[in-house]
Amino acid sequence: MNNLKASNSFVFNEEIDTNYLFSLYGDDYIYLQEIFVTVLKDYESLTDNIEYSYSSGNLAALKAAVHKIKPVFGFVGLTSVQQECQQFENICVNVASLDVITKDFETLKNRISQSKFVIEEEKKKLEIFNSHFS
Amino acid sequence: MSLSCIIVEDLQVAANYLMNCCEKSGQVEVRGHFSNVSDALSFLNSNTVDLIFLDVEMPGSNGFELLDQIAFSPKVILTTAKTEYAYNAFQYNVSDYLMKPFTYQRFMEALQKIQPSKETISTNSASDHIYIKTDGKLIRLNNDSILYIESMGDYVKFVTIDGKKYITHNTIKNLEEKVSKQHFLKVHRSYIVNLHKIDDMRENLLFIKGNEIPVSKANKADVFRRLNIV
Repeated sequence: MNNLKASNSFVFNEEIDTNYLFSLYGDDYIYLQEIFVTVLKDYESLTDNIEYSYSSGNLAALKAAVHKIKPVFGFVGLTSVQQECQQFENICVNVASLDVITKDFETLKNRISQSKFVIEEEKKKLEIFNSHFS
Repeated sequence: MSLSCIIVEDLQVAANYLMNCCEKSGQVEVRGHFSNVSDALSFLNSNTVDLIFLDVEMPGSNGFELLDQIAFSPKVILTTAKTEYAYNAFQYNVSDYLMKPFTYQRFMEALQKIQPSKETISTNSASDHIYIKTDGKLIRLNNDSILYIESMGDYVKFVTIDGKKYITHNTIKNLEEKVSKQHFLKVHRSYIVNLHKIDDMRENLLFIKGNEIPVSKANKADVFRRLNIV
């Protein structure tokens, strides 16, 4: 997945689809850093919303909350997580209650939690990179 | 082309990205960004814009509720991934969908669709007739022969008293300015009706020769003003 097209030497985490990022931002790493910063600012409220929807047993709200965070992963190149969100949304459509998707929810929750760590690390790397090359 | 727009989007990263695309294009001036329908509506109550970038699913309300409540008909580009809104999109004359995140190229393709309608109608508002271009020819329609005009996305349908339907490339917004004000009134973002042909009105529906025409909240007061209520 990590097939960087850009002309300099920034190396993304292997989870990140660099071709996809390049299609969105070109090689504008300053702007990319802004994107990562913005995403992290909203991350907690978006994940809180997911957690709250689940704990209150509201399936429709849970689906909406996952739908809301889904594009965030696309903006930072975590396209596989974006797809997993979509898959979870699809599961939500086909079930009557939250009881039957506990395992799916825990899996997604862990992925989202791990993804935050990836985004934070990439943000730090971008800050260092940009401080040297811009 | 210079378009004014607002962005109605509660996801900050998406709004910022969209603003960047607008700025980069040099074709769209962003007049505001609103993260909920209520704030956007407050702005649009005293301002008009050419275009709204609209997220559908937002906290507390649906983006289409905004379109129901404004008194003019801007172009709309939805920023949502959900195809289940396709029917509503048709009703609201949505120009395009942008699935987040989208590339700049895809954004520009959407902008290309926001072009002024081709000149397919020849009229002046004081005339007793209009000409429409359909099937490669100009057809004269007398005002008295037209029951109503319905939006079909980038096209409109003229329904006439003899039951005929004429489809031409145009928009309700464009026609609203061109048809005779004496005869016609926009009653919904997707409908202009011939006031002289209304049979009755019930709640938010007008009835014209058996056809039900919705009246939007935004246009209802105008309808009452124009009907000869005694």
